[in-house]
Amino acid sequence: MSYALIVAEVRRGIFEERNLDSIGICAQLGKETAMLLPEGQYSFNEKMVDSIVKVKAGEEVFLNPLNMAAIIGKIAETRGKPDFIVFTHSSSGTEAAAYTAGIFGFPVITDVSGYDKERGVFRKSYYSDKLFGEFKTIGESAAVLTVRSGSFKEFAAEKSAAPNEVSVEDVPVSDSRTFVEYVEEEKTDIDITKADFLLSVGRGVGNKDEIPAYEELAGIMKAVISGSRPVIDKMWLPKARQVGTSGKTVKPKVYLAMGISGAFQHIAGMKDADCIIAINKDAEAPIFQYAHFGVVADMHKVRDALKGILKG
Amino acid sequence: MNILVFTKRVPATQEEELRLISDGKDVDFSKLPFKVNDWDNYAVEEAVKIVEKGGGAVTAVSIGSAESDEVLRRAIAMGAKDGFLVEVDQALHDPFARSALIRNFIQKEGTPFDVIFTGVQSEDDQFASVGGILAALLKLPYVSMVIGIDSVEKDHMIVRRELEGGLQERVRVATPCVVSIQSGINEPRYVSIMGIRKASKVERKSFKGTDYDAGKDAHIELVQWTYPPKKGGAQMLTGELGDVCAKLMEILKEKGVYQ
Ligand SMILES: Cc1cc2nc3c(=O)[nH]c(=O)nc-3n(C[C@H](O)[C@H](O)[C@H](O)COP(=O)(O)OP(=O)(O)OC[C@H]3O[C@@H](n4cnc5c(N)ncnc54)[C@H](O)[C@@H]3O)c2cc1C
Ligand SMILES: Nc1ncnc2c1ncn2[C@@H]1O[C@H](COP(=O)(O)O)[C@@H](O)[C@H]1O
Repeated sequence: MSYALIVAEVRRGIFEERNLDSIGICAQLGKETAMLLPEGQYSFNEKMVDSIVKVKAGEEVFLNPLNMAAIIGKIAETRGKPDFIVFTHSSSGTEAAAYTAGIFGFPVITDVSGYDKERGVFRKSYYSDKLFGEFKTIGESAAVLTVRSGSFKEFAAEKSAAPNEVSVEDVPVSDSRTFVEYVEEEKTDIDITKADFLLSVGRGVGNKDEIPAYEELAGIMKAVISGSRPVIDKMWLPKARQVGTSGKTVKPKVYLAMGISGAFQHIAGMKDADCIIAINKDAEAPIFQYAHFGVVADMHKVRDALKGILKG
Repeated sequence: MNILVFTKRVPATQEEELRLISDGKDVDFSKLPFKVNDWDNYAVEEAVKIVEKGGGAVTAVSIGSAESDEVLRRAIAMGAKDGFLVEVDQALHDPFARSALIRNFIQKEGTPFDVIFTGVQSEDDQFASVGGILAALLKLPYVSMVIGIDSVEKDHMIVRRELEGGLQERVRVATPCVVSIQSGINEPRYVSIMGIRKASKVERKSFKGTDYDAGKDAHIELVQWTYPPKKGGAQMLTGELGDVCAKLMEILKEKGVYQ
Protein backbone atom coordinates (compact mmCIF):
# COMPACT_ATOMS: atom_id res chain seq x y z
CA MET A 1 0.00 0.00 0.00
CA SER A 2 1.19 3.44 -0.78
CA TYR A 3 1.25 5.61 2.32
CA ALA A 4 3.07 8.31 4.24
CA LEU A 5 4.37 7.71 7.72
CA ILE A 6 4.09 10.73 10.02
CA VAL A 7 6.33 10.74 13.05
CA ALA A 8 4.36 12.78 15.56
CA GLU A 9 6.22 14.97 17.99
CA VAL A 10 4.99 14.90 21.57
CA ARG A 11 6.85 16.68 24.31
CA ARG A 12 6.00 16.23 27.96
CA GLY A 13 2.73 14.66 27.05
CA ILE A 14 1.63 17.42 24.68
CA PHE A 15 0.83 16.77 21.02
CA GLU A 16 2.75 19.57 19.32
CA GLU A 17 0.68 21.90 17.13
CA ARG A 18 3.28 21.65 14.34
CA ASN A 19 2.25 18.02 13.73
CA LEU A 20 -0.67 19.54 11.82
CA ASP A 21 1.80 20.73 9.21
CA SER A 22 3.02 17.14 8.79
CA ILE A 23 -0.58 16.04 8.29
CA GLY A 24 -1.18 18.94 5.90
CA ILE A 25 1.73 18.13 3.60
CA CYS A 26 0.51 14.52 3.33
CA ALA A 27 -2.85 15.83 2.15
CA GLN A 28 -1.00 17.85 -0.49
CA LEU A 29 0.95 14.75 -1.49
CA GLY A 30 -2.32 12.82 -1.72
CA LYS A 31 -1.13 10.04 0.54
CA GLU A 32 -2.89 7.90 3.06
CA THR A 33 -1.38 8.59 6.44
CA ALA A 34 -0.21 6.47 9.32
CA MET A 35 0.79 8.47 12.37
CA LEU A 36 3.38 7.14 14.79
CA LEU A 37 2.78 8.08 18.41
CA PRO A 38 4.40 7.03 21.68
CA GLU A 39 2.41 5.63 24.59
CA GLY A 40 -0.03 7.96 26.31
CA GLN A 41 -3.22 9.91 25.74
CA TYR A 42 -2.93 12.97 23.54
CA SER A 43 -5.52 15.51 22.77
CA PHE A 44 -5.84 16.11 19.04
CA ASN A 45 -8.32 15.37 16.29
CA GLU A 46 -7.52 11.75 15.48
CA LYS A 47 -9.84 11.81 12.48
CA MET A 48 -7.22 13.75 10.55
CA VAL A 49 -5.15 10.62 9.91
CA ASP A 50 -6.06 7.23 8.38
CA SER A 51 -4.33 5.15 10.97
CA ILE A 52 -2.53 5.50 14.25
CA VAL A 53 0.43 3.38 15.13
CA LYS A 54 0.97 3.40 18.88
CA VAL A 55 4.50 2.56 19.91
CA LYS A 56 4.91 0.82 23.26
CA ALA A 57 7.49 3.25 24.55
CA GLY A 58 7.61 6.56 26.41
CA GLU A 59 8.34 9.81 24.59
CA GLU A 60 12.03 9.85 25.63
CA VAL A 61 12.60 6.49 23.99
CA PHE A 62 10.42 7.38 21.01
CA LEU A 63 12.12 10.71 20.21
CA ASN A 64 15.62 9.19 20.34
CA PRO A 65 16.82 9.00 16.70
CA LEU A 66 18.53 5.64 17.21
CA ASN A 67 15.32 4.08 18.49
CA MET A 68 13.16 5.88 15.92
CA ALA A 69 15.14 4.43 13.02
CA ALA A 70 14.67 0.96 14.50
CA ILE A 71 10.92 1.55 15.00
CA ILE A 72 10.55 2.70 11.39
CA GLY A 73 12.41 -0.41 10.25
CA LYS A 74 9.92 -2.57 12.13
CA ILE A 75 6.94 -0.81 10.63
CA ALA A 76 8.32 -1.09 7.10
CA GLU A 77 8.60 -4.85 7.67
CA THR A 78 4.90 -5.25 8.42
CA ARG A 79 3.27 -2.44 6.42
CA GLY A 80 5.69 -2.19 3.56
CA LYS A 81 7.96 0.71 2.82
CA PRO A 82 6.28 4.13 3.10
CA ASP A 83 6.54 6.64 0.23
CA PHE A 84 7.28 9.45 2.61
CA ILE A 85 8.45 9.69 6.20
CA VAL A 86 7.43 13.06 7.57
CA PHE A 87 8.92 14.77 10.63
CA THR A 88 8.45 18.24 12.11
CA HIS A 89 11.28 20.68 11.45
CA SER A 90 12.14 20.93 15.12
CA SER A 91 15.11 20.00 17.24
CA SER A 92 14.12 16.35 17.63
CA GLY A 93 12.32 16.04 14.29
CA THR A 94 15.34 17.14 12.30
CA GLU A 95 17.66 15.02 14.38
CA ALA A 96 15.69 11.83 13.77
CA ALA A 97 15.00 12.66 10.11
CA ALA A 98 18.66 12.98 9.13
CA TYR A 99 19.60 9.87 11.07
CA THR A 100 16.74 7.84 9.56
CA ALA A 101 17.71 8.94 6.04
CA GLY A 102 21.28 7.83 6.71
CA ILE A 103 20.28 4.42 8.11
CA PHE A 104 18.01 3.51 5.19
CA GLY A 105 19.79 5.39 2.41
CA PHE A 106 16.72 7.54 1.76
CA PRO A 107 16.78 11.04 0.27
CA VAL A 108 16.12 13.81 2.77
CA ILE A 109 14.80 17.33 2.34
CA THR A 110 14.52 19.42 5.50
CA ASP A 111 12.67 22.63 6.35
CA VAL A 112 10.14 22.08 3.55
CA SER A 113 7.80 25.07 3.38
CA GLY A 114 6.17 24.54 -0.01
CA TYR A 115 5.13 21.80 -2.39
CA ASP A 116 4.26 22.30 -6.05
CA LYS A 117 1.84 19.51 -6.92
CA GLU A 118 2.04 19.89 -10.67
CA ARG A 119 5.80 19.86 -10.85
CA GLY A 120 6.32 17.56 -7.88
CA VAL A 121 8.94 19.84 -6.34
CA PHE A 122 9.56 20.65 -2.69
CA ARG A 123 10.57 24.16 -1.73
CA LYS A 124 13.05 24.80 1.07
CA SER A 125 14.74 27.88 2.46
CA TYR A 126 18.31 28.92 1.75
CA TYR A 127 20.26 31.82 3.26
CA SER A 128 17.68 32.53 5.99
CA ASP A 129 14.84 32.81 3.46
CA LYS A 130 16.63 35.12 1.05
CA LEU A 131 16.29 32.39 -1.57
CA PHE A 132 14.47 29.11 -1.89
CA GLY A 133 15.65 25.92 -3.56
CA GLU A 134 13.25 23.65 -5.41
CA PHE A 135 14.08 19.98 -5.08
CA LYS A 136 12.99 16.68 -6.54
CA THR A 137 13.95 13.34 -5.11
CA ILE A 138 15.81 10.92 -7.35
CA GLY A 139 14.80 7.27 -7.58
CA GLU A 140 11.96 5.32 -6.05
CA SER A 141 12.96 5.05 -2.42
CA ALA A 142 10.99 6.64 0.39
CA ALA A 143 11.75 10.32 0.90
CA VAL A 144 12.32 11.77 4.36
CA LEU A 145 10.94 15.27 4.90
CA THR A 146 10.94 17.74 7.75
CA VAL A 147 8.18 20.32 7.54
CA ARG A 148 8.38 23.96 8.56
CA SER A 149 5.87 24.82 11.22
CA GLY A 150 2.96 26.91 9.91
CA SER A 151 3.45 25.95 6.25
CA PHE A 152 0.86 23.25 5.64
CA LYS A 153 -1.54 23.12 8.58
CA GLU A 154 -4.33 24.73 6.55
CA PHE A 155 -4.46 21.53 4.46
CA ALA A 156 -4.96 19.24 7.44
CA ALA A 157 -8.55 18.05 7.33
CA GLU A 158 -10.80 15.41 8.84
CA LYS A 159 -11.16 12.10 7.03
CA SER A 160 -14.55 10.47 6.59
CA ALA A 161 -13.79 7.55 8.89
CA ALA A 162 -12.16 7.29 12.28
CA PRO A 163 -8.60 5.96 12.13
CA ASN A 164 -7.82 2.35 12.80
CA GLU A 165 -5.28 1.81 15.54
CA VAL A 166 -2.46 -0.69 15.70
CA SER A 167 0.43 -0.99 18.08
CA VAL A 168 4.12 -1.75 17.87
CA GLU A 169 5.58 -3.72 20.76
CA ASP A 170 9.09 -4.95 21.59
CA VAL A 171 10.68 -1.67 20.63
CA PRO A 172 14.45 -1.99 20.29
CA VAL A 173 16.03 0.45 22.77
CA SER A 174 19.55 1.74 22.16
CA ASP A 175 21.91 1.93 25.12
CA SER A 176 24.51 4.02 23.29
CA ARG A 177 22.34 7.08 23.65
CA THR A 178 19.97 7.51 26.55
CA PHE A 179 17.77 10.24 27.99
CA VAL A 180 18.79 11.52 31.41
CA GLU A 181 16.37 14.35 32.25
CA TYR A 182 14.72 17.56 31.08
CA VAL A 183 16.44 20.78 32.08
CA GLU A 184 14.34 23.93 32.42
CA GLU A 185 15.48 27.46 31.78
CA GLU A 186 16.25 29.47 34.90
CA LYS A 187 13.46 31.76 35.98
CA THR A 188 14.22 35.46 35.74
CA ASP A 189 12.50 38.69 36.79
CA ILE A 190 11.73 40.04 33.38
CA ASP A 191 9.19 38.37 31.19
CA ILE A 192 9.26 39.69 27.63
CA THR A 193 6.07 37.78 26.82
CA LYS A 194 4.15 40.23 29.03
CA ALA A 195 5.42 43.40 27.36
CA ASP A 196 3.14 45.56 25.18
CA PHE A 197 6.01 47.15 23.35
CA LEU A 198 9.24 45.34 22.49
CA LEU A 199 12.28 46.97 20.99
CA SER A 200 14.19 44.06 19.54
CA VAL A 201 17.75 44.25 18.25
CA GLY A 202 19.49 41.79 15.93
CA ARG A 203 22.98 41.10 14.71
CA GLY A 204 22.82 44.35 12.76
CA VAL A 205 23.51 46.16 16.04
CA GLY A 206 27.15 45.37 15.24
CA ASN A 207 28.79 45.10 18.64
CA LYS A 208 28.19 45.05 22.36
CA ASP A 209 29.11 48.69 22.87
CA GLU A 210 26.04 49.80 20.91
CA ILE A 211 23.63 47.99 23.23
CA PRO A 212 23.44 50.59 26.05
CA ALA A 213 22.24 53.25 23.61
CA TYR A 214 19.36 50.94 22.63
CA GLU A 215 18.59 50.25 26.27
CA GLU A 216 18.47 53.98 26.79
CA LEU A 217 16.09 54.42 23.84
CA ALA A 218 13.90 51.60 25.13
CA GLY A 219 13.88 53.34 28.51
CA ILE A 220 12.69 56.64 27.06
CA MET A 221 10.05 54.94 24.89
CA LYS A 222 8.92 52.70 27.77
CA ALA A 223 9.67 49.66 25.66
CA VAL A 224 11.17 46.41 26.88
CA ILE A 225 14.35 45.35 25.10
CA SER A 226 14.65 41.94 23.46
CA GLY A 227 16.81 40.40 20.76
CA SER A 228 17.40 37.79 18.11
CA ARG A 229 19.45 34.70 18.79
CA PRO A 230 22.89 35.94 17.65
CA VAL A 231 22.66 38.85 20.11
CA ILE A 232 21.90 36.41 22.93
CA ASP A 233 24.52 33.87 21.76
CA LYS A 234 27.15 36.59 21.95
CA MET A 235 25.87 37.42 25.45
CA TRP A 236 25.09 41.03 24.53
CA LEU A 237 21.66 40.46 26.08
CA PRO A 238 20.56 37.75 28.56
CA LYS A 239 18.89 34.55 27.36
CA ALA A 240 15.53 35.54 28.86
CA ARG A 241 15.37 38.31 26.24
CA GLN A 242 15.53 35.99 23.23
CA VAL A 243 12.62 35.96 20.79
CA GLY A 244 12.11 32.90 18.58
CA THR A 245 11.61 29.15 18.48
CA SER A 246 14.41 28.47 20.92
CA GLY A 247 13.55 31.54 22.98
CA LYS A 248 10.19 33.14 23.75
CA THR A 249 7.07 33.50 21.68
CA VAL A 250 5.83 37.06 22.08
CA LYS A 251 2.65 38.84 21.06
CA PRO A 252 3.11 42.53 21.95
CA LYS A 253 1.05 45.42 20.57
CA VAL A 254 4.16 46.70 18.85
CA TYR A 255 7.29 44.79 17.90
CA LEU A 256 10.01 47.13 16.70
CA ALA A 257 12.72 45.02 15.03
CA MET A 258 16.03 46.73 14.35
CA GLY A 259 18.78 44.94 12.41
CA ILE A 260 16.95 41.61 12.31
CA SER A 261 16.88 39.77 8.97
CA GLY A 262 13.75 37.67 9.52
CA ALA A 263 14.87 34.04 9.65
CA PHE A 264 11.95 31.69 10.21
CA GLN A 265 13.10 30.72 13.72
CA HIS A 266 12.82 34.38 14.65
CA ILE A 267 9.60 35.09 12.76
CA ALA A 268 7.91 32.11 14.44
CA GLY A 269 8.40 33.85 17.78
CA MET A 270 6.90 37.27 16.89
CA LYS A 271 4.72 36.99 13.81
CA ASP A 272 1.50 37.36 15.80
CA ALA A 273 2.37 40.78 17.19
CA ASP A 274 -0.40 43.32 16.43
CA CYS A 275 2.01 45.65 14.71
CA ILE A 276 5.49 44.79 13.45
CA ILE A 277 7.83 47.58 12.46
CA ALA A 278 11.11 46.57 10.83
CA ILE A 279 14.18 48.71 10.38
CA ASN A 280 16.88 47.20 8.22
CA LYS A 281 19.47 48.58 5.86
CA ASP A 282 18.84 45.75 3.38
CA ALA A 283 15.69 46.43 1.34
CA GLU A 284 15.51 42.70 0.51
CA ALA A 285 15.54 41.52 4.14
CA PRO A 286 12.84 38.82 4.52
CA ILE A 287 11.46 40.53 7.64
CA PHE A 288 9.82 43.18 5.45
CA GLN A 289 7.47 40.44 4.19
CA TYR A 290 6.08 39.99 7.68
CA ALA A 291 6.22 43.57 8.93
CA HIS A 292 3.34 46.05 8.77
CA PHE A 293 5.69 49.00 8.47
CA GLY A 294 9.24 49.07 7.19
CA VAL A 295 12.12 51.50 7.05
CA VAL A 296 15.23 50.91 4.97
CA ALA A 297 17.88 52.70 6.98
CA ASP A 298 20.88 52.39 9.26
CA MET A 299 19.41 51.37 12.62
CA HIS A 300 21.89 53.52 14.56
CA LYS A 301 20.79 56.64 12.70
CA VAL A 302 17.15 55.82 13.36
CA ARG A 303 17.96 55.25 17.02
CA ASP A 304 19.70 58.61 17.32
CA ALA A 305 16.97 60.44 15.43
CA LEU A 306 14.25 58.91 17.62
CA LYS A 307 16.18 59.91 20.72
CA GLY A 308 16.51 63.40 19.33
CA ILE A 309 12.75 63.71 18.89
CA LEU A 310 11.90 62.16 22.26
CA LYS A 311 14.34 64.29 24.22
CA GLY A 312 12.83 67.29 22.44
CA MET B 1 40.47 12.86 23.05
CA ASN B 2 40.84 13.30 19.30
CA ILE B 3 38.17 15.42 17.72
CA LEU B 4 37.38 15.82 14.04
CA VAL B 5 35.54 19.06 13.48
CA PHE B 6 33.85 20.03 10.25
CA THR B 7 34.02 23.60 9.09
CA LYS B 8 32.51 25.11 5.99
CA ARG B 9 33.19 28.27 4.03
CA VAL B 10 29.94 30.04 3.21
CA PRO B 11 28.94 33.29 1.49
CA ALA B 12 28.07 36.13 3.85
CA THR B 13 24.62 36.93 2.50
CA GLN B 14 22.93 38.78 5.37
CA GLU B 15 23.47 42.26 4.04
CA GLU B 16 23.72 41.44 0.34
CA GLU B 17 21.27 41.26 -2.49
CA LEU B 18 21.23 37.74 -3.90
CA ARG B 19 20.80 37.54 -7.64
CA LEU B 20 19.70 34.49 -9.59
CA ILE B 21 21.40 33.82 -12.92
CA SER B 22 21.04 31.27 -15.74
CA ASP B 23 17.23 31.14 -15.41
CA GLY B 24 17.36 30.30 -11.73
CA LYS B 25 19.87 27.49 -12.15
CA ASP B 26 22.54 29.42 -10.32
CA VAL B 27 23.16 32.15 -7.77
CA ASP B 28 25.60 34.94 -8.50
CA PHE B 29 28.22 34.82 -5.75
CA SER B 30 30.83 36.83 -7.61
CA LYS B 31 30.45 39.95 -5.48
CA LEU B 32 29.85 38.31 -2.11
CA PRO B 33 32.34 38.11 0.73
CA PHE B 34 32.86 34.64 2.25
CA LYS B 35 33.30 33.60 5.85
CA VAL B 36 33.27 30.63 8.18
CA ASN B 37 29.86 29.06 8.84
CA ASP B 38 28.76 30.60 12.13
CA TRP B 39 27.75 27.27 13.73
CA ASP B 40 31.12 25.70 12.83
CA ASN B 41 32.92 28.51 14.60
CA TYR B 42 31.20 27.38 17.83
CA ALA B 43 32.02 23.73 17.03
CA VAL B 44 35.73 24.47 16.56
CA GLU B 45 35.83 26.46 19.80
CA GLU B 46 34.14 23.65 21.73
CA ALA B 47 36.57 21.07 20.32
CA VAL B 48 39.60 23.19 21.16
CA LYS B 49 38.29 23.83 24.69
CA ILE B 50 37.86 20.12 25.35
CA VAL B 51 41.34 19.29 24.12
CA GLU B 52 42.94 22.13 26.08
CA LYS B 53 41.39 20.70 29.21
CA GLY B 54 41.73 16.96 28.69
CA GLY B 55 44.44 16.47 26.07
CA GLY B 56 44.25 15.08 22.56
CA ALA B 57 44.10 16.93 19.27
CA VAL B 58 41.64 18.71 17.02
CA THR B 59 41.66 18.22 13.26
CA ALA B 60 39.54 20.55 11.14
CA VAL B 61 38.07 19.23 7.90
CA SER B 62 36.43 21.18 5.10
CA ILE B 63 34.84 20.07 1.84
CA GLY B 64 34.85 22.69 -0.85
CA SER B 65 36.94 24.66 -3.32
CA ALA B 66 40.61 25.53 -2.77
CA GLU B 67 39.48 28.75 -1.06
CA SER B 68 38.09 26.69 1.82
CA ASP B 69 41.67 26.59 3.07
CA GLU B 70 40.72 29.92 4.66
CA VAL B 71 38.45 28.29 7.24
CA LEU B 72 41.10 25.65 8.00
CA ARG B 73 43.70 28.32 8.72
CA ARG B 74 41.15 29.99 10.94
CA ALA B 75 40.51 26.75 12.84
CA ILE B 76 44.24 26.24 13.29
CA ALA B 77 44.59 29.79 14.58
CA MET B 78 41.94 28.87 17.17
CA GLY B 79 43.90 25.81 18.30
CA ALA B 80 43.33 22.93 15.85
CA LYS B 81 46.44 20.83 15.27
CA ASP B 82 45.94 20.45 11.55
CA GLY B 83 43.48 20.91 8.72
CA PHE B 84 42.29 18.66 5.89
CA LEU B 85 40.75 20.02 2.73
CA VAL B 86 38.73 17.68 0.55
CA GLU B 87 38.59 19.54 -2.71
CA VAL B 88 35.47 19.34 -4.86
CA ASP B 89 34.86 21.55 -7.89
CA GLN B 90 31.11 21.81 -7.44
CA ALA B 91 29.10 22.45 -4.33
CA LEU B 92 27.18 19.34 -3.29
CA HIS B 93 23.68 20.47 -2.44
CA ASP B 94 22.52 17.04 -1.33
CA PRO B 95 23.50 16.52 2.32
CA PHE B 96 23.48 12.78 1.65
CA ALA B 97 26.14 13.15 -1.03
CA ARG B 98 28.23 15.30 1.29
CA SER B 99 27.91 12.86 4.17
CA ALA B 100 28.77 9.87 1.97
CA LEU B 101 31.86 11.66 0.70
CA ILE B 102 32.89 12.44 4.28
CA ARG B 103 32.31 8.82 5.32
CA ASN B 104 34.45 7.58 2.43
CA PHE B 105 37.18 10.07 3.28
CA ILE B 106 37.27 9.13 6.96
CA GLN B 107 37.31 5.40 6.22
CA LYS B 108 39.79 5.48 3.37
CA GLU B 109 42.29 7.74 5.11
CA GLY B 110 41.81 5.93 8.41
CA THR B 111 41.49 9.27 10.16
CA PRO B 112 41.42 8.50 13.90
CA PHE B 113 38.83 10.19 16.10
CA ASP B 114 36.91 9.76 19.33
CA VAL B 115 34.26 12.32 18.53
CA ILE B 116 33.10 14.13 15.40
CA PHE B 117 31.71 17.66 15.73
CA THR B 118 29.68 19.44 13.09
CA GLY B 119 27.74 22.67 13.35
CA VAL B 120 23.95 22.44 13.71
CA GLN B 121 23.48 23.71 10.18
CA SER B 122 25.21 25.41 7.32
CA GLU B 123 24.08 28.98 6.80
CA ASP B 124 23.78 28.47 3.05
CA ASP B 125 22.20 25.00 2.67
CA GLN B 126 20.38 24.97 6.04
CA PHE B 127 19.81 21.23 5.87
CA ALA B 128 20.92 20.53 9.46
CA SER B 129 21.46 16.99 8.21
CA VAL B 130 25.11 16.22 7.48
CA GLY B 131 25.91 15.18 11.06
CA GLY B 132 22.92 12.84 11.36
CA ILE B 133 23.41 11.14 8.02
CA LEU B 134 27.14 10.78 8.67
CA ALA B 135 26.52 9.20 12.08
CA ALA B 136 24.18 6.65 10.52
CA LEU B 137 26.64 5.86 7.73
CA LEU B 138 29.43 5.35 10.25
CA LYS B 139 27.06 3.37 12.53
CA LEU B 140 27.69 5.75 15.42
CA PRO B 141 25.29 7.32 17.89
CA TYR B 142 24.22 10.88 17.13
CA VAL B 143 23.18 13.86 19.22
CA SER B 144 22.15 17.15 17.62
CA MET B 145 21.67 20.75 18.83
CA VAL B 146 24.15 20.37 21.66
CA ILE B 147 24.15 23.54 23.78
CA GLY B 148 26.28 22.24 26.65
CA ILE B 149 28.80 19.48 27.31
CA ASP B 150 28.56 18.64 31.00
CA SER B 151 31.22 15.95 31.14
CA VAL B 152 33.61 14.05 28.92
CA GLU B 153 34.48 10.57 30.20
CA LYS B 154 36.57 7.76 28.80
CA ASP B 155 33.71 6.02 27.00
CA HIS B 156 30.85 8.52 27.07
CA MET B 157 29.79 12.13 27.34
CA ILE B 158 26.92 13.84 29.11
CA VAL B 159 25.53 16.60 26.94
CA ARG B 160 22.56 18.95 26.83
CA ARG B 161 20.41 19.23 23.70
CA GLU B 162 18.42 22.34 22.99
CA LEU B 163 14.72 21.79 22.41
CA GLU B 164 12.16 24.53 21.84
CA GLY B 165 11.14 27.44 24.03
CA GLY B 166 14.13 27.29 26.39
CA LEU B 167 13.72 23.62 27.31
CA GLN B 168 16.75 21.32 27.19
CA GLU B 169 17.25 17.60 27.52
CA ARG B 170 20.26 15.97 29.15
CA VAL B 171 21.53 12.94 27.27
CA ARG B 172 24.22 10.33 27.80
CA VAL B 173 25.99 9.30 24.62
CA ALA B 174 28.65 6.64 24.15
CA THR B 175 31.84 7.57 22.31
CA PRO B 176 32.80 7.42 19.51
CA CYS B 177 29.85 9.48 18.30
CA VAL B 178 28.79 12.39 16.13
CA VAL B 179 27.58 15.59 17.76
CA SER B 180 26.16 18.73 16.17
CA ILE B 181 26.96 21.93 18.04
CA GLN B 182 24.46 24.75 18.54
CA SER B 183 25.45 28.42 18.50
CA GLY B 184 25.78 30.05 21.91
CA ILE B 185 27.36 26.98 23.53
CA ASN B 186 30.53 28.99 24.17
CA GLU B 187 32.24 32.26 23.35
CA PRO B 188 34.39 31.59 20.29
CA ARG B 189 37.83 33.12 20.78
CA TYR B 190 38.89 36.07 18.73
CA VAL B 191 41.27 35.33 15.89
CA SER B 192 43.54 38.09 14.70
CA ILE B 193 44.94 38.48 11.20
CA MET B 194 48.33 37.83 12.80
CA GLY B 195 47.04 34.58 14.26
CA ILE B 196 45.76 33.43 10.88
CA ARG B 197 49.04 34.38 9.25
CA LYS B 198 50.90 32.29 11.81
CA ALA B 199 48.50 29.41 11.23
CA SER B 200 49.40 29.50 7.50
CA LYS B 201 52.77 28.05 8.46
CA VAL B 202 51.12 24.89 9.76
CA GLU B 203 50.83 22.44 6.91
CA ARG B 204 47.31 21.64 5.74
CA LYS B 205 46.69 18.45 3.78
CA SER B 206 44.67 18.54 0.61
CA PHE B 207 42.75 15.60 -0.86
CA LYS B 208 40.95 15.10 -4.14
CA GLY B 209 37.18 14.74 -3.71
CA THR B 210 36.96 12.38 -6.69
CA ASP B 211 38.89 9.77 -4.68
CA TYR B 212 35.91 9.33 -2.37
CA ASP B 213 33.02 9.01 -4.82
CA ALA B 214 31.72 5.53 -3.96
CA GLY B 215 28.03 5.56 -3.08
CA LYS B 216 27.81 9.31 -3.00
CA ASP B 217 25.29 9.63 -5.81
CA ALA B 218 22.87 12.41 -5.09
CA HIS B 219 19.47 11.39 -3.75
CA ILE B 220 17.89 14.74 -4.50
CA GLU B 221 18.15 17.11 -7.41
CA LEU B 222 18.05 20.88 -7.33
CA VAL B 223 15.56 21.89 -10.01
CA GLN B 224 16.01 25.63 -9.62
CA TRP B 225 16.40 28.52 -7.23
CA THR B 226 13.60 30.99 -6.68
CA TYR B 227 13.16 34.30 -4.91
CA PRO B 228 11.11 34.10 -1.72
CA PRO B 229 7.34 33.98 -2.17
CA LYS B 230 5.92 37.46 -1.60
CA LYS B 231 3.68 37.73 1.42
CA GLY B 232 1.69 40.83 2.33
CA GLY B 233 4.72 43.03 2.58
CA ALA B 234 5.25 46.09 4.73
CA GLN B 235 4.12 49.61 4.08
CA MET B 236 7.48 51.28 3.58
CA LEU B 237 8.10 54.64 5.21
CA THR B 238 10.34 56.80 3.04
CA GLY B 239 11.67 60.32 3.02
CA GLU B 240 13.92 62.35 5.31
CA LEU B 241 15.02 60.45 8.41
CA GLY B 242 13.44 63.07 10.69
CA ASP B 243 10.07 62.72 8.95
CA VAL B 244 10.28 58.92 8.98
CA CYS B 245 10.94 58.95 12.72
CA ALA B 246 8.08 61.38 13.34
CA LYS B 247 5.84 58.97 11.43
CA LEU B 248 7.15 56.09 13.54
CA MET B 249 6.24 58.00 16.70
CA GLU B 250 2.74 58.57 15.33
CA ILE B 251 2.33 54.83 14.77
CA LEU B 252 3.47 54.11 18.33
CA LYS B 253 0.93 56.60 19.66
CA GLU B 254 -1.82 55.24 17.48
CA LYS B 255 -1.10 51.71 18.74
CA GLY B 256 -1.28 53.04 22.28
CA VAL B 257 2.21 52.09 23.40
CA TYR B 258 3.54 55.64 23.66
CA GLN B 259 1.80 58.75 24.97
C1 LIG C 1 17.65 25.27 15.87
C2 LIG C 1 17.72 26.75 15.69
C3 LIG C 1 17.03 27.56 16.57
C4 LIG C 1 17.06 28.94 16.41
N1 LIG C 1 16.34 29.71 17.28
C5 LIG C 1 16.32 31.05 17.10
C6 LIG C 1 15.54 31.91 17.97
O1 LIG C 1 14.89 31.46 18.91
N2 LIG C 1 15.55 33.25 17.72
C7 LIG C 1 16.25 33.81 16.70
O2 LIG C 1 16.22 35.04 16.53
N3 LIG C 1 17.00 33.03 15.87
C8 LIG C 1 17.05 31.68 16.06
N4 LIG C 1 17.84 30.92 15.23
C9 LIG C 1 18.78 31.58 14.30
C10 LIG C 1 18.15 32.04 13.02
O3 LIG C 1 18.20 31.00 12.07
C11 LIG C 1 18.96 33.23 12.45
O4 LIG C 1 20.31 32.87 12.32
C12 LIG C 1 18.85 34.48 13.33
O5 LIG C 1 17.50 34.75 13.65
C13 LIG C 1 19.45 35.67 12.65
O6 LIG C 1 19.45 36.76 13.53
P1 LIG C 1 19.57 38.23 12.99
O7 LIG C 1 18.42 38.53 12.09
O8 LIG C 1 19.76 39.14 14.15
O9 LIG C 1 20.95 38.23 12.20
P2 LIG C 1 21.26 38.25 10.64
O10 LIG C 1 20.48 37.21 9.92
O11 LIG C 1 22.73 38.25 10.52
O12 LIG C 1 20.69 39.64 10.16
C14 LIG C 1 21.21 40.87 10.52
C15 LIG C 1 20.39 41.92 9.80
O13 LIG C 1 20.81 43.21 10.20
C16 LIG C 1 20.84 44.06 9.08
N5 LIG C 1 21.78 45.13 9.40
C17 LIG C 1 23.13 45.06 9.52
N6 LIG C 1 23.63 46.25 9.88
C18 LIG C 1 22.57 47.10 9.97
C19 LIG C 1 22.44 48.48 10.30
N7 LIG C 1 23.50 49.22 10.63
N8 LIG C 1 21.22 49.02 10.29
C20 LIG C 1 20.13 48.28 9.96
N9 LIG C 1 20.19 46.98 9.66
C21 LIG C 1 21.40 46.39 9.67
C22 LIG C 1 21.25 43.19 7.94
O14 LIG C 1 20.84 43.72 6.69
C23 LIG C 1 20.55 41.88 8.28
O15 LIG C 1 19.27 41.80 7.68
C24 LIG C 1 17.81 29.53 15.37
C25 LIG C 1 18.49 28.71 14.48
C26 LIG C 1 18.45 27.32 14.63
C27 LIG C 1 19.17 26.46 13.65
N1 LIG D 1 31.12 21.33 2.69
C1 LIG D 1 31.28 21.14 4.01
N2 LIG D 1 32.51 21.20 4.57
C2 LIG D 1 32.68 21.03 5.89
N3 LIG D 1 31.68 20.80 6.73
C3 LIG D 1 30.43 20.72 6.25
C4 LIG D 1 30.16 20.89 4.87
N4 LIG D 1 28.83 20.76 4.69
C5 LIG D 1 28.29 20.54 5.91
N5 LIG D 1 29.25 20.51 6.85
C6 LIG D 1 29.09 20.33 8.30
O1 LIG D 1 27.78 19.87 8.57
C7 LIG D 1 27.04 20.82 9.34
C8 LIG D 1 25.59 20.76 8.94
O2 LIG D 1 25.46 21.11 7.58
P1 LIG D 1 24.10 21.02 6.76
O3 LIG D 1 23.57 19.66 6.94
O4 LIG D 1 24.47 21.35 5.36
O5 LIG D 1 23.21 22.09 7.33
C9 LIG D 1 27.77 22.14 9.13
O6 LIG D 1 27.60 23.01 10.23
C10 LIG D 1 29.22 21.69 8.99
O7 LIG D 1 29.83 21.47 10.25
